[in-house]
Amino acid sequence: MKRNTLVVTAVLLILAAFAWAGWANWEYRMQAAERLRASAAQGELVLDAGDVPQYVSPLQGNPAPPFTLEDLSGKKVSLADFKGRALAINFWATWCAPCKVETPWLIDLRSRYGAQGFEVLAISADDIDRKDPRKFSDEKQEIARFVQRMQMPYPVLIDGDSISDPYGGLDALPTTFFVDRNGTVVAAQLGMTTKDELERNIKKALGIVK
Amino acid sequence: MIAGKTKKRIAIAAALALASALAIGQRPLFDEAPRSAAKPAVVFLYPEQVTVPAGKPTKIDLHFRVAPGLHINSHTPNERELIPATFSIPAGSGVRLEGAVYPPGTDFTLPLDPSTKLSVYSGEFILQARIVATPGDHLVEATLRYQACDSNACMPPKTITAAIDVIGK
Repeated sequence: MKRNTLVVTAVLLILAAFAWAGWANWEYRMQAAERLRASAAQGELVLDAGDVPQYVSPLQGNPAPPFTLEDLSGKKVSLADFKGRALAINFWATWCAPCKVETPWLIDLRSRYGAQGFEVLAISADDIDRKDPRKFSDEKQEIARFVQRMQMPYPVLIDGDSISDPYGGLDALPTTFFVDRNGTVVAAQLGMTTKDELERNIKKALGIVK
Repeated sequence: MIAGKTKKRIAIAAALALASALAIGQRPLFDEAPRSAAKPAVVFLYPEQVTVPAGKPTKIDLHFRVAPGLHINSHTPNERELIPATFSIPAGSGVRLEGAVYPPGTDFTLPLDPSTKLSVYSGEFILQARIVATPGDHLVEATLRYQACDSNACMPPKTITAAIDVIGK
């Protein structure tokens, strides 16, 4: 009887240990899956009909995530303020050389398509330290210098990092989302492409081409 | 007294429970592989350990490697906004950085804008640090701050640790 009790206890203990191991492993996998789902918002490169890699964002076909950020004067600017307009939401940074190359193209395309209801919203991803007022002021000045030198005529917002998650993490710059008049993301570009590609996506946002 | 039949049932139940527990643990919950593994653009290669005369400035060569297809700004980028590669040693580590000699950058032109010439490091590069160590064994967590790009896009600035065991004798 005693021996049988010991055997049953040992079996139960072993079962409990295995069950715990299984549960712990399952829990770990759940967490990994969560992380994976979060990273899946980052989009991917796929080949189009002409075998050209195209960045496909999971935001495409969905409403552009809402945000409110400050411009360089401290004024709050919301995505909702641009309701009814076609937008290029361009994430950039002063330290990003390809962003600098792309900027004159955006300026030119805005002047060409602005009358049709197109606007560029440039969102700087430069580091911002709000805790240190002096540093914050210096950082803003650095961005302002760049904006002035590049003669960027469109709204420039700061602290893009604070909205990076809903926009897929912004692991690389420039990243641009093209939004139609209804607020839906119709195209996205990761990295610098060509001016023609920018124009094609602007036309998509304006509904000129599909 | 447990009968032989009962023992057999317990054994079968145990085997089934074990199999279930393992199956639950192994079941994939998300079919896709991760899209972007967060690998650093730059890795510190060596040395892992150096022995230097205590209290005397000594030059050591530090080897780093930039991932294929990427480059980082050199220590002297051509434009003021670009973030230079910068090596440092934290204070209080028993080792002081007296200076660093960075390799010259190589020219890099963006394919979509031939007029932009950048000064970059790619592949393996060596920077020479002049250090002064106090006597003893110091595990130094030196850092390299850099900003990496490929031909069309840039990643945010990053700081990596170069762990070096510095023995001051």
